[in-house]
Amino acid sequence: MFRELFTPQLLRATIRMTTPIILAALGGLLTYKAGIFNIAMEGMILVGAFSAVVGGYFLGNCWLGVIVAILAVLLISAIYGFFVVKLKSNEFIIGIAINIFANGITVYLLRAIFGVKGAFSSPEIPGLPDVSFPLLDKIGILNTILNNHSIFIYLSWLFVLLIYILIYKTPLGIRIRAAGEHPKALETAGVSVSKIRYITIILNGILCGFAGAHLSLGYLTLFTEGMSDGRGWIAVATVIFGEGNPIMTFAIASLFGFTDGLAFLLQGLGIPDRFARIVPHFTVIFALFIVARRAVLKIARKKREVIRKET
Amino acid sequence: MQKKDNIFYKIFGGKYQFLWITLLAIILAFVVGAVAIIANGQNPLLAYIALFKGSFGNINKVATVLTRTTILIFTGLAVAIAFRSGIFIIGAEGQLYLGAFASALVGIYLTNIPKVVHIPLAILAAMLVGGFWSFIPAILKVRYKMDEVVVSLMMNAPAILIVGYLVNEPFRDPMGQTGMTVLIQESARFSRLLEFSRFNTTFFIALSVAFLMIYLIQRSTVGYEWKITGLNPIFSRFGGVYSKKRMLQAAVISGMLAGIAGSALVLGEFYRCLDIISVGYGWDGLLVAMIVNNNPIGVILVAFLFGVLKTGALAMEAATNIPSELSLVIQSIVILFVAAERGVIALIQRKGEVPPIV
Amino acid sequence: MEKVVEMRGITKIFPTVIANNDVDFSLYKGEIQALVGENGAGKTTLMSILYGMNQPIDSGRIFINGKEERIYHPHVAINKGIGMVHQHFMLVPSFTVSENIVLGHEKRKNGILLDKEEAIKITKEISKKHGFLVAPMARVQDLPLGIQQRIEILKLLYRGTDILILDEPTAVLTPQEIKELFSTIRSLVSEGRSIVFITHKLPEVMAISDRVTVMRKGRITGVLETKKTTMKEIAKLMVGREVLFQVEKEEPHFKGVVLELNNIKALSDRILLAVNGVSLKVQAGEILGIAGIEGNGQTELAEVVTGLRPLVSGEIIFQSKNINKASPRQRREMGIAHIPEDRLKTGISIDATIQDNLVMGAHYKKPLARGIHRYLRQTKDYAEKLINEYDIRTANQNLPTISLSGGNLQRLVIAREFSFDSKLLIISQPTRGIDIGSIEFLHEKILSMRDKGNAILLISADLDEIYALSDRIAVMYEGEMVGEFHPDEIGREELGLYMTGAKREN
Repeated sequence: MFRELFTPQLLRATIRMTTPIILAALGGLLTYKAGIFNIAMEGMILVGAFSAVVGGYFLGNCWLGVIVAILAVLLISAIYGFFVVKLKSNEFIIGIAINIFANGITVYLLRAIFGVKGAFSSPEIPGLPDVSFPLLDKIGILNTILNNHSIFIYLSWLFVLLIYILIYKTPLGIRIRAAGEHPKALETAGVSVSKIRYITIILNGILCGFAGAHLSLGYLTLFTEGMSDGRGWIAVATVIFGEGNPIMTFAIASLFGFTDGLAFLLQGLGIPDRFARIVPHFTVIFALFIVARRAVLKIARKKREVIRKET
Repeated sequence: MQKKDNIFYKIFGGKYQFLWITLLAIILAFVVGAVAIIANGQNPLLAYIALFKGSFGNINKVATVLTRTTILIFTGLAVAIAFRSGIFIIGAEGQLYLGAFASALVGIYLTNIPKVVHIPLAILAAMLVGGFWSFIPAILKVRYKMDEVVVSLMMNAPAILIVGYLVNEPFRDPMGQTGMTVLIQESARFSRLLEFSRFNTTFFIALSVAFLMIYLIQRSTVGYEWKITGLNPIFSRFGGVYSKKRMLQAAVISGMLAGIAGSALVLGEFYRCLDIISVGYGWDGLLVAMIVNNNPIGVILVAFLFGVLKTGALAMEAATNIPSELSLVIQSIVILFVAAERGVIALIQRKGEVPPIV
Repeated sequence: MEKVVEMRGITKIFPTVIANNDVDFSLYKGEIQALVGENGAGKTTLMSILYGMNQPIDSGRIFINGKEERIYHPHVAINKGIGMVHQHFMLVPSFTVSENIVLGHEKRKNGILLDKEEAIKITKEISKKHGFLVAPMARVQDLPLGIQQRIEILKLLYRGTDILILDEPTAVLTPQEIKELFSTIRSLVSEGRSIVFITHKLPEVMAISDRVTVMRKGRITGVLETKKTTMKEIAKLMVGREVLFQVEKEEPHFKGVVLELNNIKALSDRILLAVNGVSLKVQAGEILGIAGIEGNGQTELAEVVTGLRPLVSGEIIFQSKNINKASPRQRREMGIAHIPEDRLKTGISIDATIQDNLVMGAHYKKPLARGIHRYLRQTKDYAEKLINEYDIRTANQNLPTISLSGGNLQRLVIAREFSFDSKLLIISQPTRGIDIGSIEFLHEKILSMRDKGNAILLISADLDEIYALSDRIAVMYEGEMVGEFHPDEIGREELGLYMTGAKREN
């Protein structure tokens, strides 16, 4: 079974499963860096996925679908930003409310617009294009793993790089980090913290829109109720875990993507579907546990060292 | 200062401010819901009439509302107690499933014992598994400072999947069309109170538990320590409270209450465990508690409101073809409005920045 | 002389207090003006308004160099050449010195990217020009507070500030650093800048300022020329009455050792040895004052004795019993009360009600509770009694504690801690941020607790307080006790040498 599982197909599935997580997590880490603990990504992905289908179906073009997705998520983000930045409401409560609202409104509109319950698929929904690199198909295994993925998979890699540069190498980035670490220092330096936070919320909205569009148009062209299926939450865990560093976050997202891919392939091997689907969740908890435990042990060890040295 | 003479302050400020806020938020949420109904090309007035007829039309409908209210009181209290104590566990849904299954096992396999023993044992089993499932994120938070929100959330799906597997495979009723266990023993069942409704005596259990929690939270030293620990754990420890113990305790009680919710579904409503036994009661409990800022009396009221909304929405769907998910939209908007009004009031009072506190 | 700043009729109302009430203020070019007043008098609020914070104001006009300006945000103030060094530094701890200096006014390269080399160059140039030595690549979190203050000043100079507002700049400095700061201030003024120096320490006012503006309860009570006034006159304008700088104190009556520490050690949160082998004894009926510059292990010492921080080694003996292993609650029950240094974080819950805060620790005992049942009537009466006895000004004990002013917050903490049946009081920085009127009241309370037979460990960075109250003075430096004196046998100057590590007993 081991050999059946650890094939290039697994890596290919990993890459595929990582993409929606990393797209949302990149957005989440921007708000995290700016001092907002954003847990609304789950709902934003869902709204993105739904509106991408609506846009794509009625406008007949997948990119118009993506644009509709972004606009819809930005609308939700505007609500989120108004509450969290302007009214200074509890981020946690607003995040939960947005998630539940997203769940309700997408199901409601699915019925209202398409008249169906559960899922909507149609050949008239345009899918996002796959990209094939001409030289890669000569190299068998790399071709299997890396080539002919949906376009957002490659874009997400680009975004990781861009966001890394944004955060650590640009004036906006230094302001974002200051907004999170010591907002008053930024405000007294003459920069509006609220403005910086709004910017990160907007960027997060765009990225969650991409994540949603990728989910509904990138692979299969359909929308199902609750389609984000916990990916937004896994993105939250990824951000916490990666401490807001895009490269680390990408690595962690890949780990979660790997377990997702594993679950997907396990189902194909006759493992009860439900057990397979437990794997990613427990991996997240376990991974978080390892990191937290290491931090605790590190402190304990440092304490012992100081005590030994000084007494 | 001079603001206290303000008429707005006189009416809406003071002791009952919170009640007004909630009421206004609910009305506004229904207005937004009406907009959604109009956008769907229907008459909101007719829809809402259908909704309220579906909840209050006859005694059986009221009974259905109360049946839902029962479960929501349990899950709402579960969330409230944890949140009050500063431990943000959002795992009620999973705990409910595990509790339901544990209760069903005890209900099915313990035989020839009297009702007064059987029912408590079945509930106890639910409390144990629910409490255990909630203890894990709590201890991880206390020991390793892990984020309990993420951990408890990640533990929902596994709980539901495990129960789903158990009732579909090893414990499946061969006669059932979907995944479900066989019926529990007669001796483990709460009595139904009406012929054409699942309304049953667990409602009174819920009320008793609610009163117990109200007592604990508002009148006991434990409740005081929960509150202070939730507001400022450093101060509570400084003042001699064993704050970690209090947090763990609150988390376990929270899990137990969620477990009892599952138990009530099995022992009172369905007399068996199903693979989709909850229609999001854990999530609704979260909203219930958050709307009333974790006030236990408020939980009872909002649980009833949500019972009405959920029951009525299904009737509305049948009568007008408006999707019943409208209730989800309205529920989440209530939260947004409650938060908004608190924020707006704070903003008015703040008028710029908070004075520097030395 | 030319007025660089003129503020006319400034009024700012906060929900619970009028912070500035029709205030006129002006600053001349090239002067050092002290802005003095008690805590809560409105000094910081007034200067924050000038710096574009605390907006919008309720009324008033601001003129900069004779021209009316609307300063609605710090960036406007910065553009007008106004800069402020806040009491709590506005530096991002994980950033480097140069990043902090350019934050908000960054230079770019290639049109997009942050030019870090340029930032380093700027930092070097500007620090060289003003004779401050700072390492541009050092992280701010690793630097001592004195250096952080220099960075704050450099930050303002980089932005081209010529009106500097310094908010209580000496609070975190050693006597030597204060001297350096003063010479910096003088050189900045000689280059044509104007300075507002917020403080409530009158000797500093006399030493550095050209003019003094005095505020009380949101109003200006006097504008004086420093040369033509006295500390006594300023103090009277600050407080509104004659001030006793010294409380009456009777001779102590010692009644046996209550607390004994034997070579105790403890770690700080940053895992450094903060308490390094402290031994001391405190007797019933005496006040042992622990002098020292903040951050030398005093906080950790208090926390170890009260059980909030684990003990690494040594012995804590309380009333002849080893209490190394006792929990905070057990220690409280034995009779150790604690007034912590950080009231807002440790000493109260700001969101709980005043009643909740007053009854903490008594809430589970008779007569307020039996078993787990709380008697609400008795609880209310208990809180009411403390509110009256300690003159805590509030309309209602069920209001959130955040509604209290700084002085009342401290009264609340003291009311609670002094109401226990205590044998030992650990009191940290009791009068920090408290107005002079309250200080007298608190000092009298502390002395009366001593005369009732409590052993008192008084930790204070304020030498006036140490001298006013202590029966013995111990000096703490880098986690160790470096000297112990009778207050009459040592002068302030010499004590300062012990506090800065320049001198120590064996």
